[in-house]
Amino acid sequence: MSASPRPALAQSIAERVEVCAGCHGQDGKPIDKTIPVIWGQPSGYTYIQLRDFKRGDRKSEIMQPIASSFEKEDMLAIAEYFSNKPWPDLGQPRSPKDVADRALRAERSVGCTGCHLDQFQGTGTVPRLAGQSREYLTKTIADFRTRARGNNPGMSDLMLATPPDDLAALAEYLAGL
Amino acid sequence: MNRSSSIAFATFFGLGCLLAAPGNAQQEVKQEYVPVSREAKVSPVTQAQLTAADKNATNFLLTNVNYAQTRFHPAKQINRDNVKGLHVAWIFQTDVRESLETSPIVVDGVMFVTTSFSHVYALDAKTGEQFWHYNHKMGPITTYCCGPNNRGVQVLGDLVYLATLDAKLVALNAKTGDVVWKTDIADPELGYSETMAPTVVKDKVLIGTNGGEYGIRGFVRAYDAKTGKLVWNFDTIPENSVGVWATKDATGRDMHRDIQAEKDQLAKLGDPYKRLGGGVWQNPAVDLATNRIYFVVGNPSPDLDGSPRPGDNLYTDSLVALDLDTGKYICHFQYIAHDVWDLDAVSPPVLLDVKDKSGKTIPGVIHAGKTGHVYVHDRKDCSLIRFSEAMVPQENMWVLPTKEGARMLPGANGGVEWSPIATDPAQELAYAINLHQPMHYRVENSPYPNGKLWLGGAFTAIPGEQQSGNITAVNYNTGKIKWQVKTPEPMIGGILATAGGLVFTGEGNGKFAAYNSSNGKELWSFRAGAGVNAPPSSYMLGNKQYIVVGAGGNTQVSFKRGNNIIAFTLD
Repeated sequence: MSASPRPALAQSIAERVEVCAGCHGQDGKPIDKTIPVIWGQPSGYTYIQLRDFKRGDRKSEIMQPIASSFEKEDMLAIAEYFSNKPWPDLGQPRSPKDVADRALRAERSVGCTGCHLDQFQGTGTVPRLAGQSREYLTKTIADFRTRARGNNPGMSDLMLATPPDDLAALAEYLAGL
Repeated sequence: MNRSSSIAFATFFGLGCLLAAPGNAQQEVKQEYVPVSREAKVSPVTQAQLTAADKNATNFLLTNVNYAQTRFHPAKQINRDNVKGLHVAWIFQTDVRESLETSPIVVDGVMFVTTSFSHVYALDAKTGEQFWHYNHKMGPITTYCCGPNNRGVQVLGDLVYLATLDAKLVALNAKTGDVVWKTDIADPELGYSETMAPTVVKDKVLIGTNGGEYGIRGFVRAYDAKTGKLVWNFDTIPENSVGVWATKDATGRDMHRDIQAEKDQLAKLGDPYKRLGGGVWQNPAVDLATNRIYFVVGNPSPDLDGSPRPGDNLYTDSLVALDLDTGKYICHFQYIAHDVWDLDAVSPPVLLDVKDKSGKTIPGVIHAGKTGHVYVHDRKDCSLIRFSEAMVPQENMWVLPTKEGARMLPGANGGVEWSPIATDPAQELAYAINLHQPMHYRVENSPYPNGKLWLGGAFTAIPGEQQSGNITAVNYNTGKIKWQVKTPEPMIGGILATAGGLVFTGEGNGKFAAYNSSNGKELWSFRAGAGVNAPPSSYMLGNKQYIVVGAGGNTQVSFKRGNNIIAFTLD
């Protein structure tokens, strides 16, 4: 009981996040555009995703085996670790005005900012979308629509209620913020 | 938190000089302003004061003025003749630029306001100077609908009570803002959160919960005001939630339920009470004469898909009365059984004397619904006496949601959202602010997602269809609309009536205005620069009446964000 668990936990987090860098990037810029930015993401969101990978609620051949060994406190600590990293600039261009207008019309219809907040920065268990990789956004929106990403049926419903052309505009707009 | 301001400032500036000296002369010296906490000289609030809040023109002690929640403030210095001279007394800027729904509470010259993410500020109500700031350390997991809002605190004794976004109940020292006790209300990972102001009465702190969009089982609870220990719990969803298979709503319109299909589902699934939602977003009204509380219960989960939840889904979309001491059920009235439109009951109920069907004056309770009706009830048994004319356009009610989207009015925000109404009993009027948002209602089916957003479809504003709002005065003894002011945008926030013959309310475009409470004539207005989407308060200080309101916009109906608390007075 006198052994301090903190250094051990810290060490294991440091080790575990080494694995993450392989795909999500040493500097927070993912190695592939369909892989999401996790640096600077709200910790609640990252925790819930790890939890869902472990539970099998979110499917990924890569993430499931990694998350399956984590306990809740590990997941919370890892999520906290990444939330304290700065959000990387992927250098994605601002969307042209017609695309932005279309995206914002769609946003007003569905009410994205009701959860993702005014500047799409996310909070708590809701992810930041501003500056996220356009290809990842496109892929995960498509996965919500087919329910291939099944860990948030509310998002699936909202994406199904939005026309595909509007969603493409949203992905481009959000990536360029 | 109780530091001497002069010492703290001396230390700060001394350090600043030391740091600046060796640096480049051209380099800017970052001087962060660190507000210094001062003790708020606030005397303990007694139960007698709270009980008599309806007659207290000096203070604003309860979220909706008094336990009856009339939102009629007895101060009358600011009146129809002089309101044109109303001007800004002070502006306080909070640290949080996000949706602002706070109801300022004022106790003997000390004001308590809250912001999104559960911050609390104690301010000098005369000058707007800050006494202290409670910055709640939010847990990593928050799950909530409609913005990280907080609608205010209440004070009893020398404690300030706050319910937080991560579902905790916190008691703060009213003088210093220090935490005295903290209690976990529920698990945010399962979809529970708190945005409402608690109601304090008879050494209890009453609180509901959000989570109707996440498959929670709702509740109203009483906690011991001194210790934070649970006194009683009332589940807003009873174990038998099936009800009477009502096919018509409170106004007699057919809701197009397929009762046989629901009965078949019930035989297959059993009673769906465990994940049926039923959040309580706003304060209960308290009737101390009968020792009862009256509150309204929100929508069933999932919002738009009725298939996993056969039955009337009691007590969702209902007015409910409980015994204050025990939390035992007394009566209920359900407005919409088996709701699949999220047109639920959210705006806080108000206790008034009303005329029954025979014209006799009896104790009543009224509630303004998302449907756009003001409902008038007998306080004795919750039964419906009458409902008002619709305050907003109603079209195609109750068309069932479809996969492609079915158009229906009102949209899912109302009518009247969480916004509290005001009343003027002498004029027999209730004042409500309304939204008009044409929407498509879509249904999708998915299993319970473990505390995630569970809408069972989507309600989407129809692009190209004009939205608007209104302020409506309804005679609750006749159900007739007395006057209505149209506004360019949907209205959400709240309204206050005063003995000066005025009502005050704000709009999402930043306009804050005073109207003649008898005819709706606009008498004064001010541009706040951000959405005025919070209920105003009134108080007296040094023989001057003040009106105060938050201008910070809104998340749910995306209105321009800001962070201002603005107080107004004459001359």
